[in-house]
Amino acid sequence: MTSSTGSTPSADPGAPVPHRAVTTLVTLGIPVVVLLAGIAVALSWRDVLPDPIAIHWGSNGANGYGDLTGHLTAMVGVTLAMSSFMWAVGYFAGRDAMTRRLAGGTSAWFAVFMTGELVGSLAPQRGLSDAAEAGPIGAVLAWSLAAACLAGALVAWLTPADLPAPATNPIPADAPKVHLAESGQAAWVRDATVGGARWFLVAVAVAMAAIVAISREWAVVVILVFVFALLVIMLARWTVTVDRTGLTVRPLIRRPRIQVPLSEIIGAEVVTVRPFAEFGGWGLRTGAAGRTGVVLRSGPALQVTRTAGRTFVVTVDDAHTGAALLNTLAARARAPH
Amino acid sequence: MLFTIDPSAPEPLFEQLAVQVRSAVARGELTAGTRLPSARELAGLLSVNLHTVLRAYQDLRDEGLLELRRGRGAVITARAEQDYLPLREAIDHLASVSRQLGLAPVTTTALIKEALR
Repeated sequence: MTSSTGSTPSADPGAPVPHRAVTTLVTLGIPVVVLLAGIAVALSWRDVLPDPIAIHWGSNGANGYGDLTGHLTAMVGVTLAMSSFMWAVGYFAGRDAMTRRLAGGTSAWFAVFMTGELVGSLAPQRGLSDAAEAGPIGAVLAWSLAAACLAGALVAWLTPADLPAPATNPIPADAPKVHLAESGQAAWVRDATVGGARWFLVAVAVAMAAIVAISREWAVVVILVFVFALLVIMLARWTVTVDRTGLTVRPLIRRPRIQVPLSEIIGAEVVTVRPFAEFGGWGLRTGAAGRTGVVLRSGPALQVTRTAGRTFVVTVDDAHTGAALLNTLAARARAPH
Repeated sequence: MLFTIDPSAPEPLFEQLAVQVRSAVARGELTAGTRLPSARELAGLLSVNLHTVLRAYQDLRDEGLLELRRGRGAVITARAEQDYLPLREAIDHLASVSRQLGLAPVTTTALIKEALR
């Protein structure tokens, strides 16, 4: 049904990265504003805070201390390092809206989490003569995490989408195709599932259960359950569909959904993916040169080369059929009627 | 799983869909526990009437090939795999014998069609 290899389509590496001003504003501007606000609050409390302040907590309350200036400096350094990295990812590799959403969302998430933790951990220390009296930190962590996730999701949602960029060239004649009658309709549906990552999930579950048993703080349990739920959603079954609209990839909860319209496909092929070497892990990912992917296992994957320098890959079985159908439908959609 | 339909072909659409699922099971492409899209989803993907897909799925369920779960789509049964295994082996055998004899594929399929009459 499918011939193995045609000419390999390649994304245009010189394609301009869109929305650079918005990316800079979101990945650097928002974190700096949030950070400055947090620092202003912390400094306004300078006279009522103990010296040294509590800066680290264990399962039995505060167990690490330091001076306020050093603590603020370290926090600014870490947050700016994270934001700068995310800015670079979005600015230089953000050809796909997904990359810009991930970069902006992560940057805002981190800044809000760090600032929330700073303000939330200092607030109850006001008026204390000895920082060792500072209570548990779990609730502060939970609220900071909730606020951070909200901010990250909001930024990702507000990030401008890619502009339509229809391909101008036909699908290569030697690209793998399926046989399809002229009047025929076709759809390919396949579940993409994890491989070795399931053992990673088991290990995480065991480690989390151990932490819950030791800490016994409700907030810690809430945080761990939330983080684990996110991991499970990212690594649970994703559904890959090829039909007359193009390629659609969605997780169990149906969002976020990745869509590649037929009109923007330069070519589809089967490639071999190594999750850690190429994407730094599993899940919804941006890899080298802004290549995006839903990467759940190593091995054969369906890769779509898109207009405007974008490449998307999903690790799914029987990727040959999916790629061939995608080429067939894209070629048909582009043929003059 | 690849689904194709051709409205200009003489076979009714529901039969075209059912045949594809049966052959995919016989070829060993669909194994027990594999999830097919729900009837509603598949109807949307192929832009055919929901009842066309439902009819195909119900036929397959009546044959014991498919288990229909409310809201969860359709799942290939363990029985389907077992039932079709002898057929798959027979086809493999037939293919190797006709290859040994140097028969043209058209001749072999013509013989099969005749035997099925």
